[in-house]
Amino acid sequence: MTHQLLAVRGLSAGYGPLRVLHDIDFTISEGERLAIVGLNGHGKTTLFRAIMQLVGWQRGSVTFDGVEIGGTRSLGEGRYTPGIVRLGIAMTPQGDAIFPGLTVREHLDCGAHARSAWRERARRRERVYQLFPQLETLQDALVGKLSGGERRMVSIGRALMSDARLYLIDEPTLGLAPKVSRRVIEALVNIPIEGKAMVIAEQNVAVLTGAVDRMIGMHAGRLRGEVGHVGLE
Amino acid sequence: MEVKPTQRLFNVGQRPDELTLKPRGDKPWHRLRPPFTRRHWLAWRGVYNPKSLRRERRLLDKRPLWWGLGLGGLLVVTPFMSEQMINIAAIFCIFSAINVIWTLIVGAAGIFSLATMAVVGICGYAAAAANVYLGVPWPLMMPVGAVVGLVFGLFLALPSTRLDGLYYALLTLGIAEICRVSITQIKALAPNNSSINNVDSFIPAAWHLQRPGLLVGFAAAFLLLLAALLVFRLVNSERLGLLLQSAREDEAFSEAIGIDYRAARWWVFVLASCALGAIGAFYAMFYRSISLAVFSLDQLLLLFAMIVIGGLGRSEGAVLGTAVVVLIDKGLIGLGPLRIIIVTAVMIVVALFARDGLTGIKAQFRGFRNRKKSERRAARTEKGGEVMPEEATEIADKQLVYRRLFDKRLRDSLKALITPELIAEHRAKPLGQHTDALDRLLNYFRREEMPDKYGILRVGPLTSCSYRVIALSGRAGHPPRVVDDKLYPTLNEAFHAVFLLRVNDLLAS
Amino acid sequence: MMDASLFTYALYLAAIYSLMAIGISLLWSSVGMVNMAHGATFAISGYAAYFAADWMMPLVKAAVDGPQSMTVLAILTMAVGIVSGAIFGIVIYLVAFLPIHDKPNFAVRSLIITLALNLASVQALLYFFGPQQKALPRFLGSGRMDLFGIPVRIDQLVTIVTTVVLLGLVLFWLRVSRKGLEIRAVMQNSEGAALCGISTRWTALPIMMLTGALAGVAAVLLSQNIFVNPTAGATPLIKGLTIALLGGLGSVPGAVLGAILIGFLEAATGIIPFLGQRYVLVVQFAFIVIMLVIRPRGLGGLLDETRE
Repeated sequence: MTHQLLAVRGLSAGYGPLRVLHDIDFTISEGERLAIVGLNGHGKTTLFRAIMQLVGWQRGSVTFDGVEIGGTRSLGEGRYTPGIVRLGIAMTPQGDAIFPGLTVREHLDCGAHARSAWRERARRRERVYQLFPQLETLQDALVGKLSGGERRMVSIGRALMSDARLYLIDEPTLGLAPKVSRRVIEALVNIPIEGKAMVIAEQNVAVLTGAVDRMIGMHAGRLRGEVGHVGLE
Repeated sequence: MEVKPTQRLFNVGQRPDELTLKPRGDKPWHRLRPPFTRRHWLAWRGVYNPKSLRRERRLLDKRPLWWGLGLGGLLVVTPFMSEQMINIAAIFCIFSAINVIWTLIVGAAGIFSLATMAVVGICGYAAAAANVYLGVPWPLMMPVGAVVGLVFGLFLALPSTRLDGLYYALLTLGIAEICRVSITQIKALAPNNSSINNVDSFIPAAWHLQRPGLLVGFAAAFLLLLAALLVFRLVNSERLGLLLQSAREDEAFSEAIGIDYRAARWWVFVLASCALGAIGAFYAMFYRSISLAVFSLDQLLLLFAMIVIGGLGRSEGAVLGTAVVVLIDKGLIGLGPLRIIIVTAVMIVVALFARDGLTGIKAQFRGFRNRKKSERRAARTEKGGEVMPEEATEIADKQLVYRRLFDKRLRDSLKALITPELIAEHRAKPLGQHTDALDRLLNYFRREEMPDKYGILRVGPLTSCSYRVIALSGRAGHPPRVVDDKLYPTLNEAFHAVFLLRVNDLLAS
Repeated sequence: MMDASLFTYALYLAAIYSLMAIGISLLWSSVGMVNMAHGATFAISGYAAYFAADWMMPLVKAAVDGPQSMTVLAILTMAVGIVSGAIFGIVIYLVAFLPIHDKPNFAVRSLIITLALNLASVQALLYFFGPQQKALPRFLGSGRMDLFGIPVRIDQLVTIVTTVVLLGLVLFWLRVSRKGLEIRAVMQNSEGAALCGISTRWTALPIMMLTGALAGVAAVLLSQNIFVNPTAGATPLIKGLTIALLGGLGSVPGAVLGAILIGFLEAATGIIPFLGQRYVLVVQFAFIVIMLVIRPRGLGGLLDETRE
């Protein structure tokens, strides 16, 4: 059996008296690509934000690589998030142009801002440019001026710059043309994942066909079992 | 003989000792109203007490009592105090009036204006000049001040809807500085030291700085404070205030439903400037002179300290903060510069620990207690159909919380009873005498709520009929829905189908 | 009308003002607080520099002789000003930022706390050192030198050069270093920065120290021409704040442009016969009021993206 990377047990989360997630249970192991599919407003983003401790409060437990990172508490806005990122979880948020005033290169460097990663950021940038060749030509453009697909690539590339072992990718194809979203998903498949894992939240099941190992449905804040097993090729 | 320990009974609930009225059910409820309004003096509400199962009347808003107690106490105690304290009480009333009106601008209208003292000062100078140079009698000074305030307010309000927040604050600060310098330069207005002296006043000249004069001054200042509170109440709680509140909640939405909140802000600002102008004239009369100290930045900062210590945006905050700061500033005058340091220390402590100043402490403490409660509850909560800790603090009737907890435990114990043998028993004999376990299960099912309760529908003529399972909507006028397309030849098979559906639902819950 | 010495005087004012304004602007755009204690930082650094210069003067005179001694003293005093400014920055960080930065109403509460710190420090200085004015030694001298045929006062020239060099260094540091990238990331989107593993708490500390140090530099440079007294911070604070707002809060180029405009305005107002020094503040405020009515978000929007 492969090493279990993330284990979510009985996770409930919400904002104020509003409860958005109900008793979420799932695990993901090294080398796995998992998709969480569900319609808008059913809690996919909140699940990711709960793992990153960005929601209002949560109950239950989240264990990353044997370390308890969740727990029963009311959360400040992003107070514990940097610590979780340092443990090795990288999330690309929805709608992604997170630093519109930075250039592509600076944006990528932000991903490698940790002291250990900073020294080899040039080498890591090369790796990202291999995956997304068009970013190399756009190095000095402001992220706010890029197209939706390019921003998505910058955002994913930013996650790849870090030492993360778990990528949480929120809605990679949201608002993109079908052709562009296929390219983004292809890039996600091409990311080497040995010893790492990836969770993708997505509405569009069709684009994920063949791209992930497992799919879990999400409905009204609850996980609704495995949607179907889709092997890689 | 063994003595039984005496049982201690605890009063349960948030306010077991709160005073409530027990209404007579057979008499109509007569309530007093202020003349010409449809409001009531006090916010008594008839509520149903879920614990005692009785009707009772509860005072929803206790602030009027505190207002009455505080202001009434001040009015009763002041005449018996030393002359210095009477003066302090009068100054407190004047500053409170200014701060209450300022709160209207900052809190209700949401315009961050720092020109308050500039308006007061300009109008004070105008009224004093009118009295000294033009011979306007003192009863007309306050109308003169109000008119000047209106004009000045119109001028200041022009950019207020265009600029926001800090930018407007800066602009008003600039205007205050321009006012101060202009006054120093107009030699004809104030020949000696830029101040106008010998202003006529409601305090007779012979009584000036004597005890009767101080008492008259205090009484007038007290009336001024009451008038300011009335203005606050009339603007903030009536139509204009409602429009402004909608704008504070969501500007875009209130604009979309046709509320012109910019006009409302503008109106409040102009009205408040008018009131500040009248206060400025009062200020000049009270001191029988007016000087440039009105415009000083230190004075403005002290006023700002007052409204933030009390809590920005509420009239009680403005008055409470004024009381604290005036007591420190004027009461401890022997301490010299140290008293400003005490004021700043109070400011820092309040800003560090209280979200909305002193008057917001109660709400903040409630929120804190609810959070702690829900955290403790979360520590002992099991997984499953219970009330979530955050919800629990919001549910007023705690019996609902325990009902759900009980229901969850009952379902857990019933789930353990379901075995293949039990289901076989029901299949063999849906009606009639059953084992204990099946009886318990069926009793639980019979108690289910109406929505989604199952029923059986006969299809076809009576002689050769079949049956199908339906689910009730639980709402009057809404027809039941068909659960599936299976047809059952006998009634017993239909009963068993319903039983299986129920068991499934129970296991899934 | 505008002769050369007036031109350098305007630049000299612009240099001092931009040091103050950029401090306020940077702090607003990165951690979202208006630092009303900036004037206190200015006054305290001035006092620290005065006492340091007073104490070091004989030591330096003994160690180095000739005209070099003044240069050494100038550098040492400047260092003291920078360090004390940075230390007061840490104090502001500990009192006004750290306890409440993730609580509701942070912007208003931090404004109140910094305002209170400002008032308290002015009163404390008054309490301990009295209202007397202290004069720093004129280690920059008041001589003139010829620069391309234009007579320039040395102290003004040194101030302009020091400011340009320091601001250039700061902006360069913000552009290229790891900390600078962190600061700019927090400025743009603090939640996004948290998702990159950048902690707002640890990014705010260097910004506070940096802005404090800039105020310290401004204090030492300006003390060549004015005296140090407890309320010395008020005018630089108000000018810095107005210029930061004029430039559009959060925009560094806007603040520099605003400082240059105000510097020239002040220099020009001083010599116009019927206005004179007395009207400097009024003219400035009138100018800013008109500017804000025309451009409600300051000059910054013209130049770059500012914090929403």
